Amino acid sequence: MRQVVAGAFVLLLGVTVHAQSGVKLELVDVVDDRISAGMMRGSLQLQANLTGTGLDRINAARLIVKEAKDDRGNDLLADREPPDFSARNVNAGILSVSLKQPPRSSRSVSVKGTIEMFVPARDPSTTLKVPNALGKLDAPINHKGLKAAKMSITPLSPAQYAKVKESQKITEADLEKIRAEGKAQGVDQKEIEMAIEFAQLMSEMDGPLPENAIILSGKEKDFDRIQSLEFLGSDGEPINITSRSSSTRGDDVLQVLQPSGEVPRNATMQLIIMTDKSKMSVPFELKNVPLP
Amino acid sequence: MKNTLVALSLILAAGAVEAQKARPIDVKVVQVNDRRTKGHFSRLTLAVELPSVKLGEVQASRVLLTKAVDDSGADLKIPSEDEPQLQTNSSLMYLEGDALKKPASISIEMNNPARDATKVAEVRGEIELFMPARDPNSVATIAKFMNQSGKALSHKALKANGVEITMVSAAQIEAEKKKGAAAKRKEAEAEGYGAEYVETMVNSFMEMFFAPQENDVVLRIKDPKKRIESITYVDAKGAVKPVMMNEEEGFTVLSTWSEKPAADWGLRVNMKTAKNLVRYPFVIADVALP
Repeated sequence: MRQVVAGAFVLLLGVTVHAQSGVKLELVDVVDDRISAGMMRGSLQLQANLTGTGLDRINAARLIVKEAKDDRGNDLLADREPPDFSARNVNAGILSVSLKQPPRSSRSVSVKGTIEMFVPARDPSTTLKVPNALGKLDAPINHKGLKAAKMSITPLSPAQYAKVKESQKITEADLEKIRAEGKAQGVDQKEIEMAIEFAQLMSEMDGPLPENAIILSGKEKDFDRIQSLEFLGSDGEPINITSRSSSTRGDDVLQVLQPSGEVPRNATMQLIIMTDKSKMSVPFELKNVPLP
Repeated sequence: MKNTLVALSLILAAGAVEAQKARPIDVKVVQVNDRRTKGHFSRLTLAVELPSVKLGEVQASRVLLTKAVDDSGADLKIPSEDEPQLQTNSSLMYLEGDALKKPASISIEMNNPARDATKVAEVRGEIELFMPARDPNSVATIAKFMNQSGKALSHKALKANGVEITMVSAAQIEAEKKKGAAAKRKEAEAEGYGAEYVETMVNSFMEMFFAPQENDVVLRIKDPKKRIESITYVDAKGAVKPVMMNEEEGFTVLSTWSEKPAADWGLRVNMKTAKNLVRYPFVIADVALP
C-alpha cells in the first residue's frame, strides 16, 4: 500500500515543471465539470500556481496553451481567446487553463504551452505618472507617456457619461443581431432568448453615479494593458478607491471609480501598463495529469 | 422493545410535523452535472422537474435519499448524521405570472460516481414539498406589523398552530438587560465575590448584551410544536422580502440586507402542518452520465 501511495506522489510531482527562468508551474487542482444539458457547457480546468525564485518581481501572469491532449489522443485545445493576465495578488495567484471536455473514459491529460509573465522591473516605461489627469474632462488626456505607449484615455464629465450610456442602450436592432448570430452558430432559440434576457437585465442594473466618481473611457485594447490605475493624493500616496466597475460595449470601455473622498482635478494619475519589453515567457509542460 | 419504539416515535412526533405521505411522484431529469475535483464542491447533481407540481406552489423542499448507486455499484449517498433541512425555493422571489405555472424543480445532490461509471443506475427516496397554499391555516400575514411594537401578534393561523409571537420594543429589550444584570449581580454576590469584581461582571454583561441593529425587528417566539418554517416581510404591493432569522438571548431577530421594513409592510409567518408538508416517494433509473 505504501508503495502505491509513493507511486501516486511521484506521479503528482511529475507535473511540476521547471522553467528556464527559475519559475516553476505547480498544479493545484483539476476540475472536470461535466454537464449533460442546458445553457452551461462543461469544461476541464487545470489550476496551477507559480513557484520558484523571483516571483516577487512578477506582477501578473497567464498560461497560453499550445497543445492539449488526453491519454487517448483527443485534442482538447479549446477554440477561445487567450485568457487575460491575472494579477498575482488575486485569487492566491492561481492561474487557470480551460480545455475542451475529455471523454469520461479518458484517464489523464497532457498540456504544453507558455507561461507569460508581466515583470514591470524589466521596463521603466511601464510606470506612467500623468499630472493634472482630470484637468480637462471629455477630451483625451494629452501626455507624452501615453502617446509613446500608443494609448488614449478620456476622463468624462457626468453629463457626457450619461450621453454615452444612453447611446449604449440595447436596441431592437442589437437584439436582432444577437439572434441572427446565435442562430448562425446553431445555438438553441430558447438559450438565445435567455441570453438576451440576461443582457437586458445587466444593462438595467446601472445605478446612479456614485458621489465623486471618476469616469474614464477608452478602447478595450488600451484598458487591457493597464495592470494598475491609481490617483495620487498631495502626499504622493494612492487615494483609496472603494469600488471600480467597468462596462464594455464593442471595443469601448467605460470605467467608473469611486474614491473615498473628492479627488482634486489636478491629481496625478499613476498607471502601470504592460509593454512588450516588460513581458517574458517561458515554456511549461504538464504531463499525464490524472483526471478526477 | 416494541413499546420503546412506540414511545420514541411519539416523542419525535411531538417535536416535529409529520409530513403527509403521498403516492409516488413522476420526476423528469433535466440536467446532470458531475463536477469532479479533488478540491471544493465535488459532487453529482441531478436537476429534476416535477411535472405534476407547479413551481409557484412549492415554497421549500428537501430530498431524503434511501438509495443512490451508479452502474459500477458505487454508493452515491452523501453520508450524514443529520436529515437535510428544507431549502427555500428562491425563484419565488423574482418569478411571477406564467413562470410560476411551470413545473417545480429540485436538485438531488450526491457523491461523484466512479469515472468508469456510465450511468446512475438508481436513485430512490422521498421528495418532501412544503406547499403552504394547501392549508389556509398555515400562513399568517400580519398587516402593518411595525406599529405593533411591544404587543403580541394576533392571527387565527398562529393560534391554530400554537404559535405565539410578540414584537419586542427597545424598552422591553432594555428591561430584559437590566433584569439579567440584576440576576448576574445577585448570583455573583451569592458566590462571595468582592464589590469591585461584581461591578466588573455586571458591566461586562451589560456591554455584551444583545443590541439590535437599526433595521432589525426583534420578536419573542413560542413555537412548542416547531411549526414555523420561515418568516418573511411582504411589501404593500404583495412582494415577498426575504429576511434572515437569528436567535439572540432568547429573542428572534429578523434582519434584511439593506431595507428597513416600511410602516405599510406585513409580516408573513409560514408554518408546517400535516396538510401542507407532503412526502412523495420517487425512483430515478438509468440516467446517462455526461
